[in-house]
Amino acid sequence: MQTNELAASLTSRFDSRILGVDGFPGLLGRVRFEPAIALDLFRTFRDDLGFSHLTMVGGIDWVDHREVFYALWSDADRVYVMLSANLPAEAPSIASAVPIWPSANAHERETWDLVGIRFEGHPDLRRIFMPEGYAYHPLLRSFKIFEPEDLEVKVRSE
Amino acid sequence: MWVNMGPQHPMTHGLWNLRVRIEGEIIKDVEPELGFLHRGIEKISEDRHYNEIITLMDRTCYVAGLAWEHLFILAAEQALHITPPERSEYIRVLASELQRIASHMMWYAAFVQDLGLMSPFLYGMRDRDLVLDLFQSFTGGRLTYEYMRVGGVRNDLPLGFTGQCRRVLDWLIDRFVEYDHLCLASTIFHERCDGLGVLPAPEAVAYGVTGPMLRSAGSHRDLRKDRPYSVYDRLQFDVATATSADVTGRYLVRMEEMRQSVRISRQCLDWLDDHPGPVLAAQLPRWLGAPYAPVGNESYLLKRNYPTGLGFSMIEEPHGEAGAYVVNDGGEHPYRVKFRSPVLINVWAAKRYLPGYRVADIPPIMGSVDVCVGECDR
Repeated sequence: MQTNELAASLTSRFDSRILGVDGFPGLLGRVRFEPAIALDLFRTFRDDLGFSHLTMVGGIDWVDHREVFYALWSDADRVYVMLSANLPAEAPSIASAVPIWPSANAHERETWDLVGIRFEGHPDLRRIFMPEGYAYHPLLRSFKIFEPEDLEVKVRSE
Repeated sequence: MWVNMGPQHPMTHGLWNLRVRIEGEIIKDVEPELGFLHRGIEKISEDRHYNEIITLMDRTCYVAGLAWEHLFILAAEQALHITPPERSEYIRVLASELQRIASHMMWYAAFVQDLGLMSPFLYGMRDRDLVLDLFQSFTGGRLTYEYMRVGGVRNDLPLGFTGQCRRVLDWLIDRFVEYDHLCLASTIFHERCDGLGVLPAPEAVAYGVTGPMLRSAGSHRDLRKDRPYSVYDRLQFDVATATSADVTGRYLVRMEEMRQSVRISRQCLDWLDDHPGPVLAAQLPRWLGAPYAPVGNESYLLKRNYPTGLGFSMIEEPHGEAGAYVVNDGGEHPYRVKFRSPVLINVWAAKRYLPGYRVADIPPIMGSVDVCVGECDR
Protein backbone atom coordinates (compact mmCIF):
# COMPACT_ATOMS: atom_id res chain seq x y z
CA MET A 1 0.00 0.00 0.00
CA GLN A 2 1.22 3.50 -0.80
CA THR A 3 0.62 6.74 1.03
CA ASN A 4 -1.75 8.07 -1.65
CA GLU A 5 -3.75 4.82 -1.66
CA LEU A 6 -4.12 5.07 2.09
CA ALA A 7 -5.23 8.70 1.76
CA ALA A 8 -7.80 7.78 -0.91
CA SER A 9 -9.30 4.90 1.06
CA LEU A 10 -9.49 6.95 4.27
CA THR A 11 -11.03 10.05 2.70
CA SER A 12 -13.63 7.93 0.88
CA ARG A 13 -14.74 6.64 4.27
CA PHE A 14 -14.31 9.65 6.55
CA ASP A 15 -14.48 12.63 4.14
CA SER A 16 -13.18 15.83 5.60
CA ARG A 17 -12.77 14.40 9.07
CA ILE A 18 -9.40 13.13 7.84
CA LEU A 19 -7.42 16.36 7.89
CA GLY A 20 -4.57 15.07 5.77
CA VAL A 21 -2.17 12.22 5.12
CA ASP A 22 1.44 13.45 5.12
CA GLY A 23 4.40 11.55 3.80
CA PHE A 24 6.84 10.29 6.44
CA PRO A 25 10.09 8.69 5.25
CA GLY A 26 10.26 5.07 6.34
CA LEU A 27 6.59 5.00 7.33
CA LEU A 28 3.37 4.61 5.39
CA GLY A 29 2.40 8.12 6.36
CA ARG A 30 1.17 10.40 9.09
CA VAL A 31 -2.62 10.57 9.27
CA ARG A 32 -4.10 13.68 10.88
CA PHE A 33 -7.68 13.13 11.97
CA GLU A 34 -10.53 14.74 13.91
CA PRO A 35 -10.61 13.31 17.46
CA ALA A 36 -14.36 12.65 17.12
CA ILE A 37 -13.80 9.74 14.70
CA ALA A 38 -11.06 8.14 16.80
CA LEU A 39 -12.78 4.83 17.57
CA ASP A 40 -14.11 4.32 14.03
CA LEU A 41 -10.69 5.12 12.61
CA PHE A 42 -8.93 2.70 14.96
CA ARG A 43 -11.40 -0.04 14.05
CA THR A 44 -10.84 0.62 10.35
CA PHE A 45 -7.09 0.38 10.77
CA ARG A 46 -7.26 -2.86 12.73
CA ASP A 47 -9.98 -4.74 10.88
CA ASP A 48 -9.81 -3.45 7.31
CA LEU A 49 -6.21 -2.33 6.90
CA GLY A 50 -4.59 -5.06 9.02
CA PHE A 51 -2.74 -2.94 11.58
CA SER A 52 -2.80 -5.50 14.38
CA HIS A 53 -0.04 -4.02 16.56
CA LEU A 54 -0.38 -0.83 18.54
CA THR A 55 3.22 0.15 19.12
CA MET A 56 3.25 3.57 20.69
CA VAL A 57 0.90 6.17 22.15
CA GLY A 58 2.15 9.53 23.26
CA GLY A 59 1.33 13.18 23.57
CA ILE A 60 2.96 16.50 22.77
CA ASP A 61 2.21 19.78 24.50
CA TRP A 62 2.24 22.52 21.83
CA VAL A 63 1.15 25.08 24.48
CA ASP A 64 -1.83 26.37 22.46
CA HIS A 65 -3.07 22.81 21.88
CA ARG A 66 -2.03 19.25 22.57
CA GLU A 67 -1.29 16.48 20.12
CA VAL A 68 -1.87 12.79 20.68
CA PHE A 69 -0.14 10.31 18.38
CA TYR A 70 -0.33 6.57 17.76
CA ALA A 71 2.12 4.32 15.91
CA LEU A 72 0.64 1.17 14.37
CA TRP A 73 2.29 -1.78 12.64
CA SER A 74 0.82 -3.99 9.93
CA ASP A 75 2.15 -7.55 9.68
CA ALA A 76 0.90 -7.93 6.09
CA ASP A 77 2.45 -4.74 4.68
CA ARG A 78 5.38 -4.68 7.14
CA VAL A 79 5.05 -0.97 7.65
CA TYR A 80 4.34 1.52 10.40
CA VAL A 81 1.79 4.28 10.21
CA MET A 82 1.46 7.29 12.49
CA LEU A 83 -1.91 8.71 13.54
CA SER A 84 -2.13 12.15 15.04
CA ALA A 85 -4.94 14.32 16.39
CA ASN A 86 -4.96 17.80 17.85
CA LEU A 87 -6.82 18.31 21.11
CA PRO A 88 -7.69 21.55 22.90
CA ALA A 89 -5.27 22.66 25.57
CA GLU A 90 -8.17 22.96 28.05
CA ALA A 91 -9.21 19.50 29.29
CA PRO A 92 -7.87 17.47 26.33
CA SER A 93 -9.55 14.10 25.89
CA ILE A 94 -10.03 11.45 23.24
CA ALA A 95 -11.66 8.01 23.07
CA SER A 96 -9.54 5.21 24.51
CA ALA A 97 -8.08 2.62 22.13
CA VAL A 98 -8.26 -0.16 24.74
CA PRO A 99 -11.38 -1.80 23.21
CA ILE A 100 -9.49 -2.12 19.91
CA TRP A 101 -5.95 -2.91 21.14
CA PRO A 102 -5.69 -4.07 24.79
CA SER A 103 -2.02 -3.05 24.76
CA ALA A 104 -3.13 0.61 24.71
CA ASN A 105 -3.84 0.31 28.42
CA ALA A 106 -0.32 0.99 29.71
CA HIS A 107 0.51 3.46 26.92
CA GLU A 108 -2.56 5.57 27.68
CA ARG A 109 -1.94 5.52 31.40
CA GLU A 110 1.55 6.81 30.70
CA THR A 111 0.25 9.55 28.39
CA TRP A 112 -2.31 10.65 30.97
CA ASP A 113 0.34 10.67 33.67
CA LEU A 114 2.98 12.64 31.78
CA VAL A 115 1.05 14.79 29.28
CA GLY A 116 -2.36 15.05 30.93
CA ILE A 117 -4.52 13.76 28.08
CA ARG A 118 -7.66 11.94 29.26
CA PHE A 119 -8.75 8.77 27.46
CA GLU A 120 -12.52 8.34 27.69
CA GLY A 121 -13.57 4.76 28.30
CA HIS A 122 -10.20 3.61 29.61
CA PRO A 123 -10.87 0.88 32.20
CA ASP A 124 -8.24 1.98 34.70
CA LEU A 125 -6.93 5.48 33.99
CA ARG A 126 -4.54 6.07 36.87
CA ARG A 127 -1.06 7.48 37.03
CA ILE A 128 1.61 4.93 36.22
CA PHE A 129 4.95 6.58 37.14
CA MET A 130 4.06 9.54 39.32
CA PRO A 131 2.44 8.97 42.71
CA GLU A 132 -1.34 9.13 42.90
CA GLY A 133 -2.39 12.63 43.88
CA TYR A 134 0.59 14.31 42.21
CA ALA A 135 -0.42 17.81 41.12
CA TYR A 136 1.45 18.09 37.80
CA HIS A 137 1.78 16.45 34.41
CA PRO A 138 5.55 16.74 34.07
CA LEU A 139 5.88 16.70 30.28
CA LEU A 140 3.84 19.90 29.91
CA ARG A 141 5.90 22.89 28.84
CA SER A 142 4.63 24.82 31.87
CA PHE A 143 6.40 22.34 34.15
CA LYS A 144 9.96 23.57 34.60
CA ILE A 145 12.61 21.16 35.79
CA PHE A 146 15.13 23.83 36.60
CA GLU A 147 14.43 27.23 38.06
CA PRO A 148 17.69 29.00 38.87
CA GLU A 149 16.04 31.15 41.56
CA ASP A 150 14.96 28.00 43.38
CA LEU A 151 18.52 26.90 43.82
CA GLU A 152 19.81 27.43 47.28
CA VAL A 153 23.46 28.40 47.08
CA LYS A 154 25.34 27.40 50.16
CA VAL A 155 28.58 29.22 50.86
CA ARG A 156 30.86 27.67 53.36
CA SER A 157 32.16 30.23 55.85
CA GLU A 158 35.69 29.61 56.89
CA MET B 1 -5.36 -11.47 49.91
CA TRP B 2 -3.00 -8.97 48.30
CA VAL B 3 0.73 -9.62 48.72
CA ASN B 4 3.47 -7.16 47.79
CA MET B 5 6.45 -8.66 45.95
CA GLY B 6 8.78 -5.69 45.89
CA PRO B 7 10.07 -3.06 45.69
CA GLN B 8 12.85 -4.78 47.65
CA HIS B 9 12.34 -8.37 46.61
CA PRO B 10 15.04 -10.62 45.08
CA MET B 11 12.62 -11.52 42.27
CA THR B 12 12.20 -7.99 40.96
CA HIS B 13 15.79 -7.31 39.78
CA GLY B 14 15.29 -3.61 40.23
CA LEU B 15 12.91 -1.25 41.90
CA TRP B 16 9.35 -2.18 41.13
CA ASN B 17 6.52 -3.75 43.01
CA LEU B 18 4.34 -6.63 41.92
CA ARG B 19 1.10 -6.71 43.87
CA VAL B 20 -0.36 -10.20 43.78
CA ARG B 21 -3.87 -11.27 44.81
CA ILE B 22 -3.74 -14.85 45.97
CA GLU B 23 -6.19 -17.48 47.11
CA GLY B 24 -4.10 -20.05 48.94
CA GLU B 25 -1.15 -20.64 46.67
CA ILE B 26 -2.93 -19.69 43.44
CA ILE B 27 -2.44 -16.27 41.81
CA LYS B 28 -5.79 -14.67 40.97
CA ASP B 29 -4.74 -11.20 39.84
CA VAL B 30 -1.63 -9.09 39.65
CA GLU B 31 -0.97 -5.36 39.56
CA PRO B 32 2.52 -4.13 38.62
CA GLU B 33 3.41 -0.87 40.35
CA LEU B 34 6.03 1.10 38.50
CA GLY B 35 7.70 4.48 38.69
CA PHE B 36 10.21 3.92 41.45
CA LEU B 37 13.00 4.63 39.00
CA HIS B 38 11.32 7.38 36.96
CA ARG B 39 13.98 9.98 36.26
CA GLY B 40 12.10 12.00 33.65
CA ILE B 41 14.47 11.19 30.81
CA GLU B 42 11.96 12.41 28.20
CA LYS B 43 11.64 15.72 30.05
CA ILE B 44 15.37 16.21 30.55
CA SER B 45 15.90 15.50 26.83
CA GLU B 46 13.91 18.61 25.95
CA ASP B 47 16.61 20.76 27.56
CA ARG B 48 19.61 19.14 25.93
CA HIS B 49 21.46 19.15 22.63
CA TYR B 50 21.01 16.01 20.58
CA ASN B 51 24.45 14.66 21.35
CA GLU B 52 23.96 15.31 25.05
CA ILE B 53 20.91 13.02 25.10
CA ILE B 54 23.16 10.06 24.27
CA THR B 55 24.45 10.23 27.83
CA LEU B 56 20.88 9.71 29.04
CA MET B 57 20.38 6.74 26.73
CA ASP B 58 23.07 4.76 28.54
CA ARG B 59 21.22 5.39 31.78
CA THR B 60 17.85 4.51 30.27
CA CYS B 61 18.77 0.86 30.05
CA TYR B 62 21.90 0.18 31.99
CA VAL B 63 22.39 -3.33 30.64
CA ALA B 64 21.84 -2.41 26.99
CA GLY B 65 23.18 1.14 26.70
CA LEU B 66 24.54 0.82 23.17
CA ALA B 67 21.23 -0.52 21.85
CA TRP B 68 19.41 2.52 23.22
CA GLU B 69 22.04 4.87 21.83
CA HIS B 70 21.47 3.20 18.47
CA LEU B 71 17.71 3.70 18.80
CA PHE B 72 17.91 7.40 19.58
CA ILE B 73 20.58 8.12 16.98
CA LEU B 74 18.45 6.62 14.20
CA ALA B 75 15.47 8.81 15.08
CA ALA B 76 17.59 11.92 15.62
CA GLU B 77 19.34 11.53 12.28
CA GLN B 78 16.01 11.25 10.51
CA ALA B 79 14.70 14.34 12.28
CA LEU B 80 17.87 16.31 11.48
CA HIS B 81 18.26 15.02 7.88
CA ILE B 82 21.76 13.62 8.44
CA THR B 83 23.22 10.56 6.72
CA PRO B 84 26.00 8.71 8.59
CA PRO B 85 28.96 7.07 6.79
CA GLU B 86 28.57 3.39 5.92
CA ARG B 87 31.41 2.27 8.17
CA SER B 88 29.78 3.82 11.22
CA GLU B 89 26.59 1.87 10.49
CA TYR B 90 28.53 -1.40 10.59
CA ILE B 91 30.21 -0.38 13.82
CA ARG B 92 26.81 0.43 15.32
CA VAL B 93 25.41 -2.95 14.33
CA LEU B 94 28.49 -4.68 15.73
CA ALA B 95 28.14 -2.73 18.99
CA SER B 96 24.41 -3.50 19.22
CA GLU B 97 24.94 -7.21 18.69
CA LEU B 98 27.77 -7.40 21.24
CA GLN B 99 25.45 -5.52 23.58
CA ARG B 100 22.74 -8.11 22.95
CA ILE B 101 25.15 -10.86 23.99
CA ALA B 102 26.15 -8.96 27.13
CA SER B 103 22.53 -8.22 28.01
CA HIS B 104 21.38 -11.81 27.49
CA MET B 105 24.28 -13.06 29.61
CA MET B 106 23.29 -10.72 32.40
CA TRP B 107 19.76 -12.10 32.08
CA TYR B 108 21.05 -15.68 32.05
CA ALA B 109 23.13 -15.14 35.18
CA ALA B 110 20.30 -13.51 37.14
CA PHE B 111 17.50 -15.75 35.90
CA VAL B 112 19.19 -19.08 36.55
CA GLN B 113 20.28 -17.93 39.98
CA ASP B 114 16.61 -17.28 40.77
CA LEU B 115 15.97 -20.95 40.07
CA GLY B 116 18.51 -21.96 42.68
CA LEU B 117 21.36 -22.89 40.35
CA MET B 118 24.41 -20.98 41.51
CA SER B 119 27.20 -21.99 39.10
CA PRO B 120 25.55 -20.62 35.91
CA PHE B 121 25.47 -17.21 37.58
CA LEU B 122 29.24 -17.24 37.94
CA TYR B 123 29.73 -18.55 34.40
CA GLY B 124 27.47 -15.90 32.90
CA MET B 125 29.08 -13.02 34.78
CA ARG B 126 32.58 -14.25 33.96
CA ASP B 127 31.92 -14.41 30.22
CA ARG B 128 30.00 -11.14 30.14
CA ASP B 129 33.10 -9.43 31.42
CA LEU B 130 34.94 -10.44 28.25
CA VAL B 131 32.35 -8.54 26.20
CA LEU B 132 32.61 -5.56 28.54
CA ASP B 133 36.38 -5.62 28.02
CA LEU B 134 35.73 -5.27 24.29
CA PHE B 135 33.44 -2.30 24.97
CA GLN B 136 36.09 -0.73 27.12
CA SER B 137 38.65 -1.05 24.35
CA PHE B 138 36.65 1.00 21.84
CA THR B 139 34.35 3.20 23.94
CA GLY B 140 36.33 3.62 27.15
CA GLY B 141 33.35 2.60 29.28
CA ARG B 142 32.12 -0.71 30.62
CA LEU B 143 28.51 0.21 31.35
CA THR B 144 27.82 3.75 30.15
CA TYR B 145 29.51 4.30 26.82
CA GLU B 146 28.52 7.66 25.25
CA TYR B 147 29.87 6.22 22.03
CA MET B 148 27.46 6.92 19.20
CA ARG B 149 27.00 10.39 17.77
CA VAL B 150 24.47 12.03 15.50
CA GLY B 151 26.16 11.45 12.14
CA GLY B 152 28.29 8.46 13.06
CA VAL B 153 30.24 7.19 16.04
CA ARG B 154 32.75 8.99 18.24
CA ASN B 155 35.90 7.13 17.22
CA ASP B 156 36.99 4.25 15.05
CA LEU B 157 37.82 0.82 16.44
CA PRO B 158 41.31 0.59 17.93
CA LEU B 159 44.16 -1.22 16.20
CA GLY B 160 43.90 -4.98 16.57
CA PHE B 161 40.29 -4.86 17.77
CA THR B 162 38.85 -7.16 15.12
CA GLY B 163 41.32 -9.93 15.95
CA GLN B 164 40.66 -9.70 19.68
CA CYS B 165 36.90 -9.56 19.09
CA ARG B 166 37.06 -12.72 16.96
CA ARG B 167 38.95 -14.52 19.71
CA VAL B 168 36.30 -13.54 22.26
CA LEU B 169 33.47 -14.65 19.95
CA ASP B 170 35.20 -18.02 19.39
CA TRP B 171 35.45 -18.43 23.16
CA LEU B 172 31.81 -17.46 23.71
CA ILE B 173 30.30 -19.75 21.11
CA ASP B 174 31.79 -22.74 22.98
CA ARG B 175 30.52 -21.44 26.32
CA PHE B 176 26.92 -21.41 25.05
CA VAL B 177 27.15 -25.20 24.79
CA GLU B 178 28.22 -25.32 28.43
CA TYR B 179 25.34 -23.08 29.43
CA ASP B 180 22.89 -25.45 27.81
CA HIS B 181 24.51 -28.41 29.56
CA LEU B 182 24.17 -26.65 32.90
CA CYS B 183 20.49 -25.83 32.44
CA LEU B 184 18.78 -28.15 30.01
CA ALA B 185 20.33 -31.23 31.61
CA SER B 186 19.15 -30.13 35.04
CA THR B 187 15.96 -31.62 36.45
CA ILE B 188 15.51 -28.60 38.71
CA PHE B 189 15.55 -26.30 35.68
CA HIS B 190 12.82 -28.24 33.87
CA GLU B 191 10.65 -28.68 36.93
CA ARG B 192 10.71 -24.96 37.61
CA CYS B 193 10.34 -23.74 34.00
CA ASP B 194 8.39 -26.11 31.76
CA GLY B 195 4.83 -25.03 31.03
CA LEU B 196 4.94 -21.87 33.14
CA GLY B 197 3.86 -18.39 32.10
CA VAL B 198 2.33 -19.55 28.83
CA LEU B 199 1.38 -16.66 26.53
CA PRO B 200 0.20 -17.76 23.04
CA ALA B 201 1.15 -15.58 20.07
CA PRO B 202 -2.26 -14.01 19.28
CA GLU B 203 -2.68 -12.83 22.86
CA ALA B 204 0.91 -11.66 23.00
CA VAL B 205 0.22 -9.45 19.97
CA ALA B 206 -3.00 -8.11 21.48
CA TYR B 207 -1.21 -7.25 24.71
CA GLY B 208 1.70 -5.66 22.86
CA VAL B 209 4.29 -8.17 24.04
CA THR B 210 7.41 -8.20 21.84
CA GLY B 211 10.90 -9.58 21.68
CA PRO B 212 11.97 -13.03 22.91
CA MET B 213 8.63 -13.44 24.71
CA LEU B 214 6.72 -13.17 21.44
CA ARG B 215 9.19 -15.30 19.48
CA SER B 216 9.02 -18.05 22.09
CA ALA B 217 5.38 -18.49 21.02
CA GLY B 218 6.38 -19.38 17.47
CA SER B 219 6.10 -15.91 15.97
CA HIS B 220 8.85 -14.95 13.51
CA ARG B 221 8.55 -11.27 14.28
CA ASP B 222 11.95 -9.61 14.41
CA LEU B 223 12.39 -5.98 13.37
CA ARG B 224 15.88 -6.71 12.11
CA LYS B 225 14.20 -8.82 9.42
CA ASP B 226 10.78 -7.18 9.10
CA ARG B 227 11.96 -3.57 8.93
CA PRO B 228 15.75 -3.62 8.59
CA TYR B 229 17.52 -0.60 10.00
CA SER B 230 21.21 0.34 9.67
CA VAL B 231 22.75 -2.48 7.60
CA TYR B 232 20.80 -5.50 8.85
CA ASP B 233 19.41 -6.10 5.36
CA ARG B 234 22.95 -6.98 4.19
CA LEU B 235 23.67 -9.50 6.96
CA GLN B 236 22.81 -13.18 7.10
CA PHE B 237 21.11 -14.47 10.23
CA ASP B 238 18.09 -16.51 11.33
CA VAL B 239 15.26 -15.45 13.62
CA ALA B 240 15.39 -17.50 16.82
CA THR B 241 12.02 -18.99 17.71
CA ALA B 242 10.53 -21.63 19.98
CA THR B 243 7.06 -23.13 20.09
CA SER B 244 6.31 -23.79 23.75
CA ALA B 245 5.51 -20.13 24.64
CA ASP B 246 6.65 -20.79 28.21
CA VAL B 247 9.69 -19.99 30.35
CA THR B 248 11.81 -22.74 28.78
CA GLY B 249 10.91 -21.42 25.32
CA ARG B 250 12.17 -17.96 26.26
CA TYR B 251 15.41 -19.49 27.51
CA LEU B 252 15.90 -21.33 24.20
CA VAL B 253 15.14 -18.19 22.16
CA ARG B 254 17.67 -16.08 24.04
CA MET B 255 20.37 -18.75 23.79
CA GLU B 256 19.83 -19.02 20.04
CA GLU B 257 19.81 -15.22 19.72
CA MET B 258 23.26 -15.06 21.29
CA ARG B 259 24.53 -17.55 18.70
CA GLN B 260 22.98 -15.50 15.91
CA SER B 261 24.54 -12.35 17.37
CA VAL B 262 27.94 -14.00 17.18
CA ARG B 263 27.20 -14.80 13.54
CA ILE B 264 26.21 -11.20 12.76
CA SER B 265 29.22 -9.81 14.63
CA ARG B 266 31.61 -11.96 12.60
CA GLN B 267 30.13 -10.66 9.33
CA CYS B 268 30.50 -7.07 10.57
CA LEU B 269 34.12 -7.71 11.55
CA ASP B 270 34.90 -9.12 8.10
CA TRP B 271 33.38 -6.07 6.43
CA LEU B 272 35.13 -3.64 8.76
CA ASP B 273 38.52 -5.27 8.05
CA ASP B 274 38.12 -4.65 4.33
CA HIS B 275 36.55 -1.18 4.34
CA PRO B 276 38.46 1.54 6.16
CA GLY B 277 36.94 5.00 6.03
CA PRO B 278 35.48 7.85 8.03
CA VAL B 279 33.16 7.07 10.94
CA LEU B 280 31.63 10.54 11.40
CA ALA B 281 29.81 12.54 8.74
CA ALA B 282 31.93 15.41 7.43
CA GLN B 283 29.18 18.01 7.04
CA LEU B 284 27.49 18.35 10.41
CA PRO B 285 25.68 21.45 11.65
CA ARG B 286 28.08 23.33 13.87
CA TRP B 287 25.59 23.60 16.73
CA LEU B 288 25.38 19.81 17.06
CA GLY B 289 28.65 19.88 18.92
CA ALA B 290 27.87 23.12 20.73
CA PRO B 291 28.77 23.36 24.38
CA TYR B 292 26.26 24.39 27.02
CA ALA B 293 24.77 27.80 26.38
CA PRO B 294 26.36 30.49 28.50
CA VAL B 295 24.10 31.44 31.40
CA GLY B 296 21.82 34.33 30.51
CA ASN B 297 22.22 34.00 26.75
CA GLU B 298 18.55 33.40 26.04
CA SER B 299 18.74 34.21 22.33
CA TYR B 300 21.09 31.29 21.88
CA LEU B 301 18.63 28.88 23.45
CA LEU B 302 15.63 30.20 21.59
CA LYS B 303 17.13 30.01 18.13
CA ARG B 304 14.52 28.41 15.92
CA ASN B 305 15.71 28.72 12.35
CA TYR B 306 17.15 25.30 11.52
CA PRO B 307 15.31 22.81 9.26
CA THR B 308 12.47 21.08 11.10
CA GLY B 309 11.69 17.39 10.90
CA LEU B 310 10.21 14.30 12.51
CA GLY B 311 12.16 11.17 13.31
CA PHE B 312 10.76 7.73 14.06
CA SER B 313 12.81 4.62 14.70
CA MET B 314 12.11 1.15 16.00
CA ILE B 315 14.83 -1.36 16.82
CA GLU B 316 14.96 -4.91 18.10
CA GLU B 317 16.49 -4.25 21.47
CA PRO B 318 17.60 -7.23 23.66
CA HIS B 319 14.33 -7.00 25.67
CA GLY B 320 11.94 -6.42 22.77
CA GLU B 321 10.96 -3.67 20.38
CA ALA B 322 12.08 -0.24 21.46
CA GLY B 323 10.93 2.90 19.69
CA ALA B 324 11.78 6.56 19.57
CA TYR B 325 9.87 9.52 18.17
CA VAL B 326 11.80 12.78 17.92
CA VAL B 327 10.10 16.08 17.10
CA ASN B 328 12.58 18.66 15.80
CA ASP B 329 11.00 22.12 15.65
CA GLY B 330 14.12 23.80 14.33
CA GLY B 331 15.77 24.46 17.65
CA GLU B 332 19.01 23.15 19.05
CA HIS B 333 17.09 20.92 21.43
CA PRO B 334 14.43 18.44 20.38
CA TYR B 335 10.93 19.74 21.11
CA ARG B 336 9.74 16.34 22.27
CA VAL B 337 11.32 12.91 22.55
CA LYS B 338 9.10 9.90 23.15
CA PHE B 339 10.44 6.45 23.84
CA ARG B 340 8.62 3.16 23.69
CA SER B 341 9.90 0.78 26.31
CA PRO B 342 9.38 -2.92 25.54
CA VAL B 343 9.77 -3.90 29.18
CA LEU B 344 6.94 -1.64 30.34
CA ILE B 345 4.48 -3.47 28.08
CA ASN B 346 5.93 -6.93 28.75
CA VAL B 347 5.62 -6.39 32.49
CA TRP B 348 2.16 -4.88 32.23
CA ALA B 349 0.99 -7.99 30.36
CA ALA B 350 1.70 -9.99 33.54
CA LYS B 351 -2.02 -9.43 34.19
CA ARG B 352 -2.54 -11.98 31.42
CA TYR B 353 0.24 -14.55 31.85
CA LEU B 354 0.58 -14.78 35.67
CA PRO B 355 -2.92 -15.64 36.99
CA GLY B 356 -3.51 -19.34 37.47
CA TYR B 357 0.04 -20.19 38.50
CA ARG B 358 1.43 -20.52 42.02
CA VAL B 359 3.27 -17.92 44.07
CA ALA B 360 6.51 -19.93 43.87
CA ASP B 361 6.28 -19.73 40.05
CA ILE B 362 6.57 -15.94 40.00
CA PRO B 363 10.40 -15.75 40.15
CA PRO B 364 10.95 -18.00 37.10
CA ILE B 365 8.12 -16.39 35.11
CA MET B 366 9.06 -12.79 35.82
CA GLY B 367 12.72 -13.72 35.45
CA SER B 368 12.01 -14.96 31.95
CA VAL B 369 10.58 -11.54 31.04
CA ASP B 370 14.03 -9.97 31.52
CA VAL B 371 12.95 -6.90 33.44
CA CYS B 372 15.12 -3.80 33.21
CA VAL B 373 13.42 -1.19 35.35
CA GLY B 374 15.61 1.61 34.04
CA GLU B 375 14.05 1.52 30.60
CA CYS B 376 10.64 0.60 31.95
CA ASP B 377 10.34 3.77 34.06
CA ARG B 378 12.72 6.01 32.07
